[in-house]
Amino acid sequence: MRASYKWLAEYLDLAGLSPADLADRLTSAGLAVDAVDPLNRGVEGVVIGKVLDVRPHPQADRLKVCQVDVGGRQLEIVCGAPNVAPGLVVPVALPGAKLPGGVEIRIAEFRGVSSHGMLCSADELGLETRYLPKRDAEGLFVLPADLPLGADVVPHLHLDDVVFDLDLTPNRSDCLSIRGLVHELSAILRRPHRFPASVAAPEADGESPLQVRLETPRCPRYEAQLLDGAEIRETPLWMKMRLLAMGVRSIDLVVDVTNYVMLEWGQPLHAFDADAIAQGTIVVRQAREGERLVTLDGQERALTPDMMVIADPEKAIGLAGVMGGENSEIGPSTRRIALESARFDGASIRRTGQALSLRSEAQQRFEKGVDPAAVSSALHRATELLVQLAGSRPVGAPRRVPPQADVSKPTVISFSPHACARFLGVDVPEGEMRACFEALGFGVEHGEGAWRVEVPTRRPDIQAPADLYEEVARLYGYHHIPATSMRLPVEAPESSGHLMIVRKVRRALVDWGLCEVRTYALTSPEAEAPIAPSGVPVALLRPMSDDRRVLRRHLLPSLAEVARHNLAHQVPGGAIFEVGKMFLASSWPQQALPEEQQVLGMLWFGETEGNPFERPRPYDFYDAKGVCDALLARLGIRAAYQASQHVYLHPGRQASIEVNGAPVGFLGELHPDVGEAYDVKRAVYAQFDLDRLFSLASSDVRVRPIPRHPASRRDLAVVVPSELESQALIDSAWRTLGDGGDLRLVRVFDVYTGVGVPEGHKSLAVALWFQSDERTLTDAEIDQAVVAVLRAWEEAFGAKLRA
Amino acid sequence: MSDTWRHELETIRNEAMASLANTSDSKALNDWRIEVLGKKSALSQMSKAMGSLAPEDRRALGEALNRVRQELEQAWRSRQAEMEAKEKALRLERERIDVTLPGREVPLGAMHPISRVIEEIEDIFMSLGFSVVEGPEVETDHYNFELLNIPKDHPARDMQDTFYLTEEWLLRTHTSPMQVRTMERMRGRTPIRVIVPGRVYRRDEDDATHSHQFTQIEGLVVDEGIRMSDLKGTLEAFAKALFGPSQRVRLRPSYFPFTEPSCEVDLVCVSCGGAGCRTCKGTGWIEILGAGMVHPRVLDMSGYDSARYTGFAFGLGAERIAMLRYGISDIRMLYQNDLRFLRQFRHA
Ligand SMILES: [Zn+2]
Repeated sequence: MRASYKWLAEYLDLAGLSPADLADRLTSAGLAVDAVDPLNRGVEGVVIGKVLDVRPHPQADRLKVCQVDVGGRQLEIVCGAPNVAPGLVVPVALPGAKLPGGVEIRIAEFRGVSSHGMLCSADELGLETRYLPKRDAEGLFVLPADLPLGADVVPHLHLDDVVFDLDLTPNRSDCLSIRGLVHELSAILRRPHRFPASVAAPEADGESPLQVRLETPRCPRYEAQLLDGAEIRETPLWMKMRLLAMGVRSIDLVVDVTNYVMLEWGQPLHAFDADAIAQGTIVVRQAREGERLVTLDGQERALTPDMMVIADPEKAIGLAGVMGGENSEIGPSTRRIALESARFDGASIRRTGQALSLRSEAQQRFEKGVDPAAVSSALHRATELLVQLAGSRPVGAPRRVPPQADVSKPTVISFSPHACARFLGVDVPEGEMRACFEALGFGVEHGEGAWRVEVPTRRPDIQAPADLYEEVARLYGYHHIPATSMRLPVEAPESSGHLMIVRKVRRALVDWGLCEVRTYALTSPEAEAPIAPSGVPVALLRPMSDDRRVLRRHLLPSLAEVARHNLAHQVPGGAIFEVGKMFLASSWPQQALPEEQQVLGMLWFGETEGNPFERPRPYDFYDAKGVCDALLARLGIRAAYQASQHVYLHPGRQASIEVNGAPVGFLGELHPDVGEAYDVKRAVYAQFDLDRLFSLASSDVRVRPIPRHPASRRDLAVVVPSELESQALIDSAWRTLGDGGDLRLVRVFDVYTGVGVPEGHKSLAVALWFQSDERTLTDAEIDQAVVAVLRAWEEAFGAKLRA
Repeated sequence: MSDTWRHELETIRNEAMASLANTSDSKALNDWRIEVLGKKSALSQMSKAMGSLAPEDRRALGEALNRVRQELEQAWRSRQAEMEAKEKALRLERERIDVTLPGREVPLGAMHPISRVIEEIEDIFMSLGFSVVEGPEVETDHYNFELLNIPKDHPARDMQDTFYLTEEWLLRTHTSPMQVRTMERMRGRTPIRVIVPGRVYRRDEDDATHSHQFTQIEGLVVDEGIRMSDLKGTLEAFAKALFGPSQRVRLRPSYFPFTEPSCEVDLVCVSCGGAGCRTCKGTGWIEILGAGMVHPRVLDMSGYDSARYTGFAFGLGAERIAMLRYGISDIRMLYQNDLRFLRQFRHA
């Protein structure tokens, strides 16, 4: 919302307050002022002049040589504007004048003719021409003929004004008008205002010839005034400039008056060509199925029964509260005008605007709520202005439906000054509270303990005591509220076990060299296609782009994208992880909200950095497995690895991670096709279900005594078929000797293929540790156990001791 | 005893001592020992030849011979010790390494800056007695809007452009639905003190200051007698903990449908300390979060009688704090995950 300083100053004494001061006061009361811009953007030394004579330039076809009267003296000025003509009054930049954009005017020669200044267009004066009618925006800015020649244009063009750009919150629709802002400023500054409480109906004879029928409950009030004749159609300069200051485009006098009054009173108005209204009867109703209407912007709109239209008995002539119809548009030939001032249901107006992608000034005010008390006054005010400016005559009294005056009552709220002070935590004096309400124009009646505060319909946002507390607080000043400590019991926070696991995991991974990433949950089915996740994607109704139109079903594509970005930006590789959600649905749309599964995803891509002790090498499966092992150990979880079958992982290089037979995660090298699809070549992915980790994790430690008797280690190198998994040897050793006996640990410490090992085989070096809590074991005992293990290995796998 | 013998002994001794001084390594020293003290040495020859001497002479010469042998042995031992020390020193010198080479690397990862900020803020509020809870990212219109006093077709919905999944389901536009979910879960028990970190989504085009996905931290306190000044006190304590003891907060009136009164909360600009700079557009203050007293309708709809209970709520953007804190000028940096950026957060 833009607001003109000079317009406000008409109703309120602003003496001693600069526009910047005013902006500060408004902002600290909750009406944020984003910008304070002088309308004059640097015009200096430009005067009003009259073109006396125009002759062609002897050397240039498109230039003209003009004699211009600038008040007692005559200047010869070269001009290229097509609309220059004798008799026009225009802005003249004299030599030495300054124009916006740092332009300085000097005496200049144009093909042999000296030009002693410049005739200006609106654009050259720095005016926002999008708010001017077309003929003012193109060519020289033609001014009213009665302006004093030689006078500075700044005051005559009303450029000595300042525009506030207000960022109004949606609750303050009352401030979408000069009326509302004047009341607000009056309360903030504690200065009386002169804005009229109401405007009386202009005098007119008899009843209105217009008939109005309300056929929908969404229009609780409709008032209309018929006017005859509109001889003058040029909007006076002052009104054009005021509309420009407020950021509303000037179109023609009748339309401009309706907009002007809307800006002044906050009540949107509409003007119809009364001769286009069949039978002089206005019907407000819901649109019919299949009904169409060409709106003022020339668009044909398909209407739905949820939309409200203004119609006559034959056809729709406007979209109520949103935009008029072309068939009843005010045009140069319009003789009779029907002015509308009405109330429409805000939600309905909002839906219509959204459905048709329209966002008119009127619509914005209706959807936030207009003051029922302003409906009649705005109509009367517009009538008055059309009589004054256009030479129109009211025909009959306004037609009002329902006929009785508006019965909207002010809201009455019971207010306790004591409760207010306690709620805010600051002892605002009662007199101060009362003064606030009175300055706002609220009625205050004292009662026993509580007051009755009467809030005018102008302020629909005030409905309950808390709203009044806010009025007190913001007008008294939020800076008066002290910083206090709550008096709350000391309590242990609720257990945040899940949070603590996430933190523990995050910290451990960071300590082990992984970088945490955070990626977008919105992705595209195409980005997920290479891994073909199960289920269907949860899709947005109206995505902003194809790249982000579904919720992700997997973390891998997100991490692969990070890897791709880094590899493409001179990062040779890395290890990354994310704690994020996957959104799972079996069909979409479905009956229940999608499942949000929180997982830990990790990805190793590219090469290690390399150092003097180790050459750069590609990250591999065992880098990932090492981290998985360490993470499980850190969380106190014992898990087993089983070969798995994820299609997007390398068929021979993946494993599921299981606890008691149930998976908690998996890891594996990306399938080469997948690596290629994501442009990351080789990478290893691992994933854990965080809820599962959380339910399994344990930080309990029960200390066992350090053994008193020495342990014995036996190293066995056995030759086995290549495809045998080393875990099989370990499991077999435990099965053979049992886990309650003297065998304490079995570890594979070397894998060898090459000279001395037959083709299709490998040599595994396995260490077995034996120990007893009771005594030192004898060699014979240990030998016996080793023999048993070797026998079991041979029987099960054909394992042979390596020579 | 013959002077010849004596003289010869003297010569052997002198020559041996001289050649000992010339031994340069342990091999030469060993050769010297064999030559001077070994079975075939001149000394040994002399001992053997002594048998032909008269007993007195033999005894006298034997003593002299023994003395010389002991003297030479002693000299050999000390020469050996000296040489070993020298050789050891040489060997150690040869073992000198380049201490300026990097150590065997312990890889250091990095926490994402947003996580850093969230953990820090969680810690501050936990120390103030708050619990940390989390909620769903896919929400219903009911929780995200209606129960927060934002009815359908209400202009306040324009404040948050929403990603809808269906007519009723959406991606939460703020963490505020957890205010309602928390009150419903607590079923009237008090006090409520929670913070809720989480991802939220808005239909904004991504640019330097907007992201369609970002991270909020919601706070909620409900009890009897909670005052607006408590909101200010709590946020000031938080600001001091996060940005230092000289911090202050400033409240400015604002509007959120689910709080009344509502405020924007400013901190003293962290770049200039309040003097005015580009970050704070010369005002000395930076907007950091939105807050307010829980709207009575929200309390009532969530099962807390607004005539009895009051409360406050606040919501802050983790990205904004991270950007201020670490000097990040473009929010997209936080979601690009360039390791050259993330690795700068290695130090804890
Ligand atoms: Zn600053």
